[in-house]
Parts: sequence; structure tokens; C-alpha cells
Amino acid sequence: MILAVAEQRDGKLNRATWETIAGAQQAGGEVAVAVIGSGVDALTAELAAAEATAVVVADHAVLAQYTADGYVQALQQIIAAEAPSHVFFPHTYQTRDFAPALAARLNRPLITDVIAIKKQGDAVVLVRPVFQGKLNADVTIGGPAPHLATFQIGAYRADAARKGSAAAPVKAAALTLDAGSIRQKPEAPFKEARQAVDLSQAERIVAAGRGIKGQEHLKIVEQLAQALGAEVAASRPICDAGWLPMDRQIGSSGQTVAPKLYLALGISGAIQHLVGMKGSRTIVAINKDPDAPIFEIADYGIVADLFEVVPALLAELNK
Amino acid sequence: MTRDTLDVDVLIVGGGPCGMSAALRLAQLQKAGGGEPLSIAVLEKAPDAGAHMLSGAVLDPSALRDLVPDFQQRGAPLATEVHQDRVYFLTRGAKLAFPLTPPPLRNHGNYIISLNRFVKWLGSLVEAEGIDVFTGFPAVELLFEGDRVVGVRTGDRGIGRHGEVKSNFEPGVDVRAKVTILADGVRGNLTKALVRRLGLAEGRAPQQYAIGIKELWEVPNDRVPAGTVIHTMGYPMRMEEFGGGFLYGMPGGLVSVGFVSGLDYPDPMFDPHVAFQHFKRHTLVSSLLTGGQMVRYGAKAIPEGGWHTIPRVHADGVLIAGDAGGFLNSLRFKGIHLAMRTGMLAAETAFEAVRKADLSSAALSAYQARIDASDVRRELYPVRNVHQSFGYGLLAGVAYSGFSLVSRGWWVRDPMPSHAGFERMKKIADYYRDGRPDPDATVNPVKIDRQLTFDRLTNVHYSGTRHPEDQPSHLIVHDTDICRTRCREEYGNPCTRFCPANVYEMVDAGDGTKRLQINASNCVHCKTCDIMDPYQIIDWVPPEGGGGPRYEGM
Repeated sequence: MILAVAEQRDGKLNRATWETIAGAQQAGGEVAVAVIGSGVDALTAELAAAEATAVVVADHAVLAQYTADGYVQALQQIIAAEAPSHVFFPHTYQTRDFAPALAARLNRPLITDVIAIKKQGDAVVLVRPVFQGKLNADVTIGGPAPHLATFQIGAYRADAARKGSAAAPVKAAALTLDAGSIRQKPEAPFKEARQAVDLSQAERIVAAGRGIKGQEHLKIVEQLAQALGAEVAASRPICDAGWLPMDRQIGSSGQTVAPKLYLALGISGAIQHLVGMKGSRTIVAINKDPDAPIFEIADYGIVADLFEVVPALLAELNK
Repeated sequence: MTRDTLDVDVLIVGGGPCGMSAALRLAQLQKAGGGEPLSIAVLEKAPDAGAHMLSGAVLDPSALRDLVPDFQQRGAPLATEVHQDRVYFLTRGAKLAFPLTPPPLRNHGNYIISLNRFVKWLGSLVEAEGIDVFTGFPAVELLFEGDRVVGVRTGDRGIGRHGEVKSNFEPGVDVRAKVTILADGVRGNLTKALVRRLGLAEGRAPQQYAIGIKELWEVPNDRVPAGTVIHTMGYPMRMEEFGGGFLYGMPGGLVSVGFVSGLDYPDPMFDPHVAFQHFKRHTLVSSLLTGGQMVRYGAKAIPEGGWHTIPRVHADGVLIAGDAGGFLNSLRFKGIHLAMRTGMLAAETAFEAVRKADLSSAALSAYQARIDASDVRRELYPVRNVHQSFGYGLLAGVAYSGFSLVSRGWWVRDPMPSHAGFERMKKIADYYRDGRPDPDATVNPVKIDRQLTFDRLTNVHYSGTRHPEDQPSHLIVHDTDICRTRCREEYGNPCTRFCPANVYEMVDAGDGTKRLQINASNCVHCKTCDIMDPYQIIDWVPPEGGGGPRYEGM
């Protein structure tokens, strides 16, 4: 059985949870979903829609707020009870915080940032990028179960997660947790003064690059984003010039995103940018230079001046 | 603001082959000598041991044998022994094999290594001795009492790009030490400051530098047999330029391919990165690489000047070792063993000084005596004028190199006169008398196919370089007006060419002129800009700890 661990905060599921469930389902075999928190009935019901053998709920006052110790202890007990062959996580900041500790506690291997699963006979082969995405390594894990792995955001599509014909049975995990054994004291979540955006959660992104030429031209990018219901993002030169805040930067020194639609305006497609968005489902590129590398990965390419194409698109969208 | 202080007996700045060897030697002396244990710390700016290490590399194992006699049993990651040396002179379309390998280039008994792996291994031996290796901690300034060095200050964390204090601010730590060993590498920022402040280079010849640009390739297995060492001279360099290429075959189809360009070229439009691409397109190289994949990229300056350019390496409370001091044999293209050896000698001197509680420059001058009595001098002194002879052209250099083998380095003027490399760069108007080239274009362009040849930005990606974007630029250009006006006119902004990482760019200022843009987060810490800038207005200082390249396997 594969255990897919959901991630939630304040009763809201992280979108990557469903990606993890989809990945677990595609690995084949039985899938159970674990959810951790306090007072998470609504979430449990939401997750029970998945095609799964069970939703295991770790509901405990100690788990109301995320702590690495709380999650490690809860998952350790769930894993002992359920004896899964594999435990899969979304590769989020939170997972990165506690999964290594969990693996160490269990003395089991943890494979991070997995982008695909292959089956070779009975063996599960995990594919993960190495050399900054230049090569993919096939990883098979030996030794006793469970084997732990995290999935890169966007590796699987959330909407590919299969839903069951009936709600999956819900199972409350028997937990013995003690607030005294939690060494971390969570404080109120830290917020940047400026509202930070999490572009990895955006379904559509309109991104601008050097071809936009001047800050004053960002207006049409914003208009297009608004018309599409999209977030605005940019390549490094734009954020570096201060035309957009750094949290809107996509690429190796910014965020990694995998939206349904990525519209690249005047972005040449340096590899530093591509690694941050190549997982997007549909990539549309508008660039004057037909040799721009962005066209090598674009699904739709328009070789034209963005200042002609974007107003035309806007006119069409606003009809 | 409260600043933490750490007191140690011996502080080693820089966790490269030199610093790690020094630390290991100290641990050995401690074990052998007994007594009150010395406290030792190593500071390293890279996020983990070896991450900023870049070299060819062929290792002369002489120092390793003395430092870790059972290095084979202890799993030293030496990729392969050298089985074959080949030397070629290249012309644009052909190669001419040297009938016999010149003695300095004979590598029998040496090993091809990844310096990254090697230093990681050395670091593990150091940590196994209980010595703290503080990775991710750059030393940004020396602490003085009068003119006596009493330690270093590490860099602050959490400063925004406009100098503002961010929520994650942590002030740097003052590490106070009885003896500080500076092993901060080629053009080390602390060594540079110390040498200037105390005039340690007075009466010495100017240091000569080169820049080495290297890629790691995976090619079909039998293409470059493991243990093959190929060196080239000639194309794409002209007679007035010093430099050459290398290819080292390792097991599993891994090949190190690189090109070294002397940082003393007269042509202001010369571009070391473009020269490297031309080298790869030469049939000798392209026939070996085509069909393979580039997997890593990096660049690093090399101190080539040799014996006469080494500054005084001791002062009150401080010793200088390794590349920081210029301990490198440019005729053999080797410095790792000298870095290790001088690290060991510095450690022996520091140990003795701490035990005797005499930390004066006079006591520490025992270090110089140790160097003079060691293989370091035996190796470097006879070739003391060789690199300088190349300053008179390729033919003069080759001729003198041969002569020096017989003369043991003698020359009518000793030291042979030389100039700092940046002073040799000519102004565009003087070099291009028949017409001014476009400073934003390449004079000798090369086709970029992203298979065999790459643009700088793509290459930088493969260096694994990362710096948090929200920090002040660690490339300090003291007067950017010069870039816009004088330099553009006089030299055509050579920083945009000699930087191998696309850090320096001239972008439209919006008023029809160009202004300098510094992409500091691309910096691979090679130090070339600090060295080669014709106005000497660029200062390389360490960025926030942990930033920089990740030379996995390089």
C-alpha cells in the first residue's frame, strides 16, 4: 500500500496534495491518504472523494499548528500501524522541513524531488532530476519498507487524480502524542510586509521578459493577465531592474511554476528561466526573434512584436 | 547589535586543498605532540566542502603522500592514474604532435582528479579529527591590533540589496585567533587587503594571472581513454597571447575540457570565453566531444607568476599559503600539491608558535625557512622566470622554457622584468588603428549551437551558481561613470568579455547611451574582474555565505 500524505494549512489543502495522490495512484496498487491536523473533518471529506482504500486522519490538538516534531511523531505512528510500502509527499517547504527527520527516525531512505514513477516488474523506479535538470536519474530503493519520496510540484497533474465511485472509508489514527515532546514552539506565521505571492499555486501565468523594454509597458501585461485571470510574473532582468517585485521572478533564482497556461511575452528563454516553467502544461511564447530558445519548448509560438499581438489578444478577450 | 566572538588558537581561512591540509597537519601535530589541545577552526565561504573548488586537475601526489600516507586505503577519490601524455601545437585546421613530451609536462605517477571530490574527502578527514569546518561562512575582513592580525570577521547575513537589514539578519562573527592562516585562494580578498596594508609585495615582481575555463563532459566511453592527458598550445591564441587547452580523460566517459588564457593580453577585445568555444570547435577537440553532453561549467583565475611574485608570507599573527600566496608551478600547470605543502608548512609553523607563545612575524618567519628548505623552493626557484618570458611572446616563452631547463632559471636580468597583466591591455584606438570595433559585438565570433558551444548565460547555469538575489552586489565598482564614458571609449568595456559568467553587461540607459548592469548573482567567484579591470576599480568581496557555484564533480 502506498501512503500519500496530504498537506494542509488552516483547513485548506495545498494544491500539490492532489498531485501527490495522482502520482501514488499511477504507481499502481492500493493508495491510502493521510491527513494531519486538528479539526480537519471538512478536509477528510474532501480527500475521501479520491479513489483510495482509506483516508487516515491524525486529528489531535497538538497537531493544530504545524511542527516538525508533531508531524514526525504522528506519521511515525501512522506508518507503524498501516505498514505502507511507500510514503509519498508533495515537495513543499513544509515537507522539506520534516520529511528528512522522519526518514532518519525510521532509518529509511528518502528520495526527493521525484518527477515520475516507472514500474520495472515489481520494482518501483523513481525518476529524479540531477545536474540541475540536465539529466534524469532512475532510482530504485533497496532495503526494508517503507520507502519515502517527495514529488516535485507539477510532476503530476492534480486533475489526473482518480475519484472513487463512493467515498473512501475514513479511519482515525490511534495516536499517543504529548505536547511536552514537541520541541518547536510555532509562532504566528511570518508575513512579508508586502503581500507575497505563491506563483506555484497559480493556474495561469503571464510572464514578461526583456522584450517589454520599459516599466511603463508592464501595464499591457497586467491588463492581459487580468483578462485571462492570470498572475503576472517575469524573468530575471525585469525583477532585477525593480520593475516587478522579486517574488514574481520565475526561474532558477526565483520560483518554479507549472500552471495550466504560461504565456511568455518577450522572454528569450535562457535556461535559467526555462527550468522554472518548463513543467507548464501549455506554453505560449511571443517573441520577435525566431531563434529564441523559448520556441524550443513552446507549444504555441508567435514570432511577432508583442506590442502588436498583446493589444489584439486583449481586444479579442474583452469582446 | 551584539556580535558573537569565537576564540581559537589557529584559524584557517579557506577550506581548499591548502586550508584542509593545514587543518589536518595541525591535528597530526597535536596527536604526536600531546599537551593542551589546540582549538582550530576552518572558515569556508562555500555551502559545503569542495563546492567552490575548480581545477583541471592533475594531482602530483607528493604532498598527499606525506600528509596521508595511506591515502589509497582511506579512499582518496583519485579518478585515475595518468597513463598517457600528449602535447599538440594547434593551427586553425591542423594539429602537430610534439615528438616527445616536454619534461615538465610528463605526468607519470600523477593522478587525474576532481578537485571538488578530493577536497570534500580531505574535509571529511579534517572533521573526523574533530576540527570544526564552518562552511557557508566567508571571512570579510581582518581584525587587527595595530598591525598585528588577531583574527577575522565573517560576513553578515540578511542584508537587503540596498543595504537594509532584513528580518533574517544575523551579524557576522568575530573569530579571534592567535595565528591566522590565510588560504583564501587566488586573489583572496583578505590576502589582498593584508598585502596592501602591510606592503608585503614590496620589491616583488607583479603577480601574473590567467583564467581557466572548464567544462565537464560525458562522452561515449572509449572516446578519451581514462588516464589520457592532452595539452595544446597555439590556436585559437595568437603569438601575442599566452594560453592553451587541456583534455583529461576519466573513467566512465567523463572528460575535463578547458582552456587557460593569460590575463595579460594586449587586445582589449579578446574574449577568453569565446577562445574556449573556438578551442572546442577545433577538430582535435570537437571529434572527441561531439555526441557527448556538457554537464558542468566553471571558471577560476590562476596565479601563474611563480617564485618572484610571491609576497612576504608572514606577518605578526598571520601566514599566507597556497594560491593566495601564489604557490603554483605554471610550467607544470600544477598548484594543488604546492597548496597542500605550504598549508602543511604553515600549520607546522603555527603549531610551534602557539606552543612557544611567540606569534610575532619574526617567529613566524620560520615558515619562510621551511619553504626554502622544502620541495616548494626546489620546484619553483628553477622556473622563476619562465612565465615572465612568455610576456615577450610565444616563441620567446617556448625558447626560454627550454633554456631554463639547462640554466636552472638563470637569466641576465633576474627577476626578468614584467608588468601586471592589466597594464598590458592596449586601448582600442592603439590596437585597432584601421577602424574601431563595436564594443558590444565579438571581434572573432563563434557559432553558438548549444551542443558543443554555449553562450555565457547557459554555461553559468551549469556552474550551479546560486546567490540569494536580495543582497548588495558583491562586485563593487567604485566609479560606474568610468564604465559609461572613459572605459567604453578607451577599452570598449572589456569586463563584459573577460567575465566568464555574464556578470557585467552594458544595457541601454534609455537615453541612447549604455550603462553598466552587474548581474552579481551569476558570479562564479573566479576573481578575474578584480584582476584584469584596466582601471582597477572593481573589488570582489564575498557575498552572503553559501552563495556561489556548486562545482559537483569538477
